[in-house]
Amino acid sequence: MLDLQRICFGYSNNIMLLKELNLHISAGEFIVVAGRNGSGKTTLTKLMMGLLKPTTGHVLFEGEDVTGQGADRMARHVGYVFQNPDRQMFRDTVGQEVAYGPEQLGFETAATAAAVEEALRLTDLTDLAGVYPRTLSKGRKQRVAIASALAMKPRLLILDEPTSGQDAGQREQLLSVMTRLNRQGMTIMLVTHDMEILTRYASRVLVVGDAGLAFDGMVETLFNGDYPLAQWGLSEPAIVKISRGLSALGVATVFAAEELQKNIQPLLRKGDGHEPHSTAH
Amino acid sequence: MNRIAPLTKLMATLALSLWALLLASLTGLGILLLVQLLLLLVTGTLKKTSTALRGLSLVALSLVGLQYLLGSTLEESINSGLRMLDMATAFIWLLATARPQDLSSALVQQCRVAPEYAFMFTTALRFIPDFFAESQAVQEAQACRGYSTRGNRLKALLAYLAVVKPLVLKAVNRSETMAMSMEMRGFGGNGPRSFSTSVALVNRDYAVLAALTSVTVGLVLLKLKFF
Repeated sequence: MLDLQRICFGYSNNIMLLKELNLHISAGEFIVVAGRNGSGKTTLTKLMMGLLKPTTGHVLFEGEDVTGQGADRMARHVGYVFQNPDRQMFRDTVGQEVAYGPEQLGFETAATAAAVEEALRLTDLTDLAGVYPRTLSKGRKQRVAIASALAMKPRLLILDEPTSGQDAGQREQLLSVMTRLNRQGMTIMLVTHDMEILTRYASRVLVVGDAGLAFDGMVETLFNGDYPLAQWGLSEPAIVKISRGLSALGVATVFAAEELQKNIQPLLRKGDGHEPHSTAH
Repeated sequence: MNRIAPLTKLMATLALSLWALLLASLTGLGILLLVQLLLLLVTGTLKKTSTALRGLSLVALSLVGLQYLLGSTLEESINSGLRMLDMATAFIWLLATARPQDLSSALVQQCRVAPEYAFMFTTALRFIPDFFAESQAVQEAQACRGYSTRGNRLKALLAYLAVVKPLVLKAVNRSETMAMSMEMRGFGGNGPRSFSTSVALVNRDYAVLAALTSVTVGLVLLKLKFF
């Protein structure tokens, strides 16, 4: 769907933040982008969105060269949600706010209304359509920003650290929206430092570092012990550490609490003969 | 030059602005601009301020064009443009070489300005680069939703509302947060306050101030003689 070919980019001419980067994104993927602060994660996503123009190299969408087209044109294909939703909110109601994008892209009135309705439904915001968006909680504001992107009917949705500053409930709600969208065929790319999100949701992980993609692969491969996680600003999630520590007892390395609980239940039964209480959620 | 006290820098900026008003000839204003560019070069701030200077030059050029179109002679128009550029360059030099907190300190300790006003002045100075950064971020966020400045000027101006509104709301929010955080740290109290930075004048400052005064007096006398 989206290809980056031999991309070089630097904020000053002498220092290249990204060198000869190649990347292919297929439809339906749930990609998590990780890496140290300042490694170029946001730069990479901004290049894909057209907010930055590569020094050299090409960006292709469905085979068409879209290099340097600008974000306002890329918005037809790619939705982008920033970390701080306050930066984009300026209308009186959530519904009007979500309608801004389709209006900018020249949708007909009926099509705009339908797009807004669907975007609000997908993000569980239908009941808040008439509310002033700035009074909402950070989690809800973030969902308004996602709805604003969805209303433009993008094929790829990029979210830059969307869960920062949110409580556990808001975070879960946001991620369940993301999962649902992904199941419906939307390609998701999420920039995050949260290792739990990475292990639980990613179908593919990109680690940005060393002026390019330091890692591109599956979660299982990333945590197999062969990679310099600390050097890339990553750490093993607790669940991986625990399951690895239990490997001597025959427990396989897993990436979700539910899986670990399932794997250790036979051991606990063997140990005291009692059925353990369920603790995973 | 970088080591002179903030008050001396402030005085130099005011003097340079005053000279720009006193000088009437193109040559005089041109020389003043060259002197200021030299000052930026000597203080190592020419590169850092080049973007601002380029922007200002464009504004000055527009001013020249506008004045000429409104009926002034070409010389008068260029004069106005150069004068504006001279005055603005002086402030750019001040902002590039003096820290806002030092300026605030000098205003309170040496000029006896109330701390509230001094703080307002320095906060406004600090707000400029922040404002540009925030404006850029808002424009990027809206561009992702199809915001564009392409097309005719009127349309672009109306579309800019999508950037202005979040910017203003964010600024209001931020100023409220800042006010609260300042009050919580004792700002506005009646008791005596202290300053951690030393802004006292030394011999080289007196020498610079004497030179500034001499030139200013000389220019005033010349102006009175030829008026």
